[in-house]
Amino acid sequence: MNDIKRRDPRAEWILRNRLHPEHSTYALTQATGRLSEWIGPTGVKRKNPHLVGFIGPAGVRRIDRSGAQSNQQNTVKAKVDIDARRLIQIDGPSAYIVVVPELPGGRFSAQDKDLFGLAQQLAAKQSEATAVLGVILSPLKDTELGDVGMDRVYFADESQCSEYDPETHLQQLTAIEREFNPLYWLFPEHTSMSADLGRRLSVKLKVRATSHLWQLDLDTLMATCRASGGASDLYRPVSRVIMALAECAEPVSDTRHEARVIDSSINAADVIKRIRNLGAVSVDPAKVALSEAEFILSGGKGITNWDAFHQLARSLGATEGASRVAVDDGHMPRDRQVGATGTWVTARVYLAIGISGAIQHLQGIQACDKVIAINTDPGCDMIKRADLAVILDSSELIQSMLDQLQQSQVEVQHVA
Amino acid sequence: MSRNLAKLPSNDEVSVTVLVSVGQHPVTGRLRRADQDARALEMAMGLSDAEPRVIYAGPLNDSIEPALRGYLGMGVSELKVLRQSEQNDIVPALSAFLNATPSSVILCGSRAELGESSGLVPYQLADALGYTLVANVAVIEKVAASQAVVLQALPRGQRRRIEVALPAILAVDSASPVARQSAYAKATRGFINCVVSDTEEKDATNEWHYAPARKRPKRLKIIKATSARDRFKAAAAKAEGAGGQVLTSVTAEEGAAAILKVLKEEGVLKT
Amino acid sequence: MLTSLMPWLLAVAILLAVVGALRRARLWLRGRASNVNVWAGIRAMPKRYLVDLHHVVERDRYISNTHVATAGGFVLASVLAIFLYGFAWESKLLAWLLLAASGAMLIGAVRVAKRRQSPPERLSKGAWMRLPKSLMVFAVSFLILSLPAAGLLPEGFGGVVLAALLTAGIVWGLAEMFIGMTWGGPMKHAFAGALHLAFHRRPERFGGGRSTGLKALNFDDTQAPLGVEKPTDFTWNQLLGFDACVQCGRCEAVCPAFAAGQPLNPKKLIQDMVVGLAGGSDASYSGSPYPGKPLGEHKGGPFQAIVAREGKGLLDPETLWACTTCRACVEECPMMIEHVDAIVDMRRHLTLERGQTPNKGAEVLENLIATDNPGGFNPGSRMNWAADLNLPTLANVKRTDVLLWLGDGAFDMRNQRTLRAFVKVLRSAGVQFAVLGNEERDSGDVARRLGDEATFQHLAKQNIHTLQKYSFRSIVTCDPHSFHVLKNEYPELGGEYVVYHHTTFMERLYRDKQLSLKDWVGGRVTYHDPCYLGRYNGVYDAPRQLLDALGIDRVEMTRSGFRSRCCGGGGGAPITDIPGKQRIPDMRMDDIKASGASVVAVGCPQCTAMLEGVVEPRPQVLDIAELVAQSLIEEETRA
Repeated sequence: MNDIKRRDPRAEWILRNRLHPEHSTYALTQATGRLSEWIGPTGVKRKNPHLVGFIGPAGVRRIDRSGAQSNQQNTVKAKVDIDARRLIQIDGPSAYIVVVPELPGGRFSAQDKDLFGLAQQLAAKQSEATAVLGVILSPLKDTELGDVGMDRVYFADESQCSEYDPETHLQQLTAIEREFNPLYWLFPEHTSMSADLGRRLSVKLKVRATSHLWQLDLDTLMATCRASGGASDLYRPVSRVIMALAECAEPVSDTRHEARVIDSSINAADVIKRIRNLGAVSVDPAKVALSEAEFILSGGKGITNWDAFHQLARSLGATEGASRVAVDDGHMPRDRQVGATGTWVTARVYLAIGISGAIQHLQGIQACDKVIAINTDPGCDMIKRADLAVILDSSELIQSMLDQLQQSQVEVQHVA
Repeated sequence: MSRNLAKLPSNDEVSVTVLVSVGQHPVTGRLRRADQDARALEMAMGLSDAEPRVIYAGPLNDSIEPALRGYLGMGVSELKVLRQSEQNDIVPALSAFLNATPSSVILCGSRAELGESSGLVPYQLADALGYTLVANVAVIEKVAASQAVVLQALPRGQRRRIEVALPAILAVDSASPVARQSAYAKATRGFINCVVSDTEEKDATNEWHYAPARKRPKRLKIIKATSARDRFKAAAAKAEGAGGQVLTSVTAEEGAAAILKVLKEEGVLKT
Repeated sequence: MLTSLMPWLLAVAILLAVVGALRRARLWLRGRASNVNVWAGIRAMPKRYLVDLHHVVERDRYISNTHVATAGGFVLASVLAIFLYGFAWESKLLAWLLLAASGAMLIGAVRVAKRRQSPPERLSKGAWMRLPKSLMVFAVSFLILSLPAAGLLPEGFGGVVLAALLTAGIVWGLAEMFIGMTWGGPMKHAFAGALHLAFHRRPERFGGGRSTGLKALNFDDTQAPLGVEKPTDFTWNQLLGFDACVQCGRCEAVCPAFAAGQPLNPKKLIQDMVVGLAGGSDASYSGSPYPGKPLGEHKGGPFQAIVAREGKGLLDPETLWACTTCRACVEECPMMIEHVDAIVDMRRHLTLERGQTPNKGAEVLENLIATDNPGGFNPGSRMNWAADLNLPTLANVKRTDVLLWLGDGAFDMRNQRTLRAFVKVLRSAGVQFAVLGNEERDSGDVARRLGDEATFQHLAKQNIHTLQKYSFRSIVTCDPHSFHVLKNEYPELGGEYVVYHHTTFMERLYRDKQLSLKDWVGGRVTYHDPCYLGRYNGVYDAPRQLLDALGIDRVEMTRSGFRSRCCGGGGGAPITDIPGKQRIPDMRMDDIKASGASVVAVGCPQCTAMLEGVVEPRPQVLDIAELVAQSLIEEETRA
């Protein structure tokens, strides 16, 4: 079937104009299998409610909103959505910009997407056709490569594809350097793999890398970098190798890219390995240092069942914290105390159960982005601080959260 | 995380060098020992009963000296200084010195607290010396004559075990054990030993300039509305930050669902 | 027969006592030099003993009378016996006097024995249980001995049996009282105590004076070890002071850390120093141990580290860090031993030489060095709390009447309420005042108590330098810790100021009719004396008079005034955070609840923070400044 949808402006105009003498005829053809939704000339979705549904066996119009009724409308709609974005194809690029994404857990992180956005912005500024080349060195689960903003994609061989193998990966990057001589190399500044590779590459290429970049002026090519351990900004001309922080640019959203796979004709030389990855070490999130934790589940005097609390922390994958009172009462060790007299935490999400929020405690969580509180007293200070508060008995709520977590786990297993 | 458990066998010829720099307090900017470098020294002191060699390369003056003494206060008796002028690249001086007097394990911080702090120095040094490099080291588990086993810090407190051939440069992460307190008396009595002065090697960074860090703007939520309804919802949505949402008289199930929904939105819940 | 034996017995006893005394003195003199005026001390000693020491002993009437009888009787009896039997003076009068003296001593000894029948927990047992018997034997022996000389009994009464018994009694008595005095028996306290009073390291304390500021360390010699590592690092008169301990346990009874089950007992600490002085283990110590630390595991010697670098020494470091420096032990000690000085001296070694300040200590000290405040806050944000108050800064006005010293409470949200209240009071009274603003630094109190003398002196010198630039009549502060440091510890470093605590200052304003107050309404109030205001500086009345001026129904806690129990917030104790069985503030809150008050008035940001940290429901905690501010009659005209 021909996927190309041809527009008939005259037909659309007649359909819009219900007073048109031919309107009913056109409407009828639509009702028997033509569009009830379409993209108007300005790109806005238009609907004709009269055309929704179908004529049932008794000659009566039926509308089935459950979606169970098979009708080609659904498939057409999906296509309409994709078509909303421009597809960009570059056939014979004369230059390349390379992005080496971090791919934590095999998926594109928000920072990875920001970097592809930056790469596309840089590419758009070039006078000649420039393609963004994504280099995938570790196992990838995501499939929508084009959406992220890759014009070309290079997959490392299965034998060379791993979470951490800097020596082999560096060989591949130097091979790519030889083959494509990219305009820019972009790496996410992140403590795991890519930033390390970027630095290795920059030293190999004898380029003084631009590190900790968070802003790039596309016209002057002046980079703004966090320097002095975060205390100052360094303004410098951007170099070929760039390590960029999250939110350095907007991710690609208006366009689709073809993500054409480059044949693995790139031959990376073998290396004698001096670094051997012995694999991940399982670390109990509950035991992660409070100051390092991203997500803290903190308990206070209102907790009656500490076993359930620990279980919840395990199921949520949260680091455990506690109020001073809980520590004093011996429910938690002292190094778990959050607050001015304990640890000042920087968690992004702070879930406080049964903590009323003494000033000292609230001072300790000043830096937290999102605070969720569970407490029986709606007037307490913690509730006032919280972005989301639930006024309920803690033990009931913990149990309920545990149940729901278990349920969703079961669902995930069924899907997988 | 546990403290460094590895101890060097005393008969092994594994010598440990720690490279240190001058740090600054994040709030006041007062000079002091750099946090990661101090952690590196802590790690080195845990490795062996013998005193590690501590080297600093860079300018030395009255304001920098007390900061360097912070390392001496941790219990080393001597700090070697490769004195360089402010604008000099320190890598040539360091690599020349380390080439002449090699060490099988070189420990340093991952990122300086002053200047560009690009975190490139360990890489340049490893390249110049031909050493293996592992970054973001959290714990050294084992050191033998020809290789070491280390744990590398990953985000969110996760760790990866790595075996590395020696000689190696290990760049220490902020997730490694906290450095011991610097004792005043040891700091004043320690010896600062200037071993090398300037090697003429100017940095090509004259186009660069520094300014106090600007606050990064919070990213705005751009709503790509594909329908009139979405646009209306976006426009009519309650502005964020105007106080939290309080759920009273809900059932436990509803409350739990609301919390789990937020946790998923924030991306901290992986399932 | 006995009369011919007596001179010999006495001579041998005195000789042995002198030998013992010299040996003991040699142990003391191993300590460091100390600047003591020896002759003035010896001259002042009898008065110090009879007046100052007796004042403290008299807090326990029973034992005070007992002690007068026993000690007085003993001294008199000994002197008389020496003349009567040593030099063989024949005098009926002296014999009668000896009879009376030993009679008095016997009465005293019986009273001691009575106290010892079921001794309170705080008293040491062991050799001390023997003491009343020895006292009685000594008294009875000399009593009987004096009877024939006084003519009450015929010479030779009782024959050989009595003479033998008497000889035995006198030998026992002399051994305990004379030889034991200098060879380490319970009577050692009399000998060492007398010298300790003469050569006390704080002679200002006698004659009603007060000396509570810690003494500065000298950093000029960079090679000299800092603080006290081994017993011989104490000054010789400190060592002598430890030897003066009578093990009465009054310190133990008032120590908040001991009561909370933390591993500290001031009496045991002093006894451990005595063990270290002579060398040995604590196995023979017979009082209450450090909670949770069994006896017999710790040992030391004069040249061994008190806190061992590895394994067990004389003390575990937790013992030193449990102290809140509340000075209750020093205040109670009848021998006027300086426990807090000793503890801080040993802490200085741990912090300055070893870098072993426990728990949050290292972090707090680093913050003090890098940000001039213990919390690590931006020093430029010290005045943020007062953004709307338009407080004049000295940097602008250069001179003022009153300098308001904010203290680190300026960074604490709770204490900012107190500060605002006090500013309101000052404005209402029309006081011309200004603040240092962001130029102010931490007074150095916490650093000093944590043993970091270097950081203390650095902060103090910088503060003194800042204060030199401006002119003001007096400093007023809401923080007793800053108050104490500015008033008592800066002068040694060259900063002499007139300093008032805000309660004293408000009380003066009230007396000068500059404050118009209405009655405060709202329940019964009790007042909690902050250690650094009360015991350290003797300010007990001003806060109470203020409360009375507010027409408040004031009740006193059982432990108030100089016997006030610490809130647990002093001496860096919340920072070093040594675990115990319960929390000190919880115990203090129980005291407050027992008084029946619904509000506790305080005058210290530390106390406020500690007491407010007690789980509700509990009495409300309000600073006196807040109470006064609530009762101000606002005058329209002034505004």
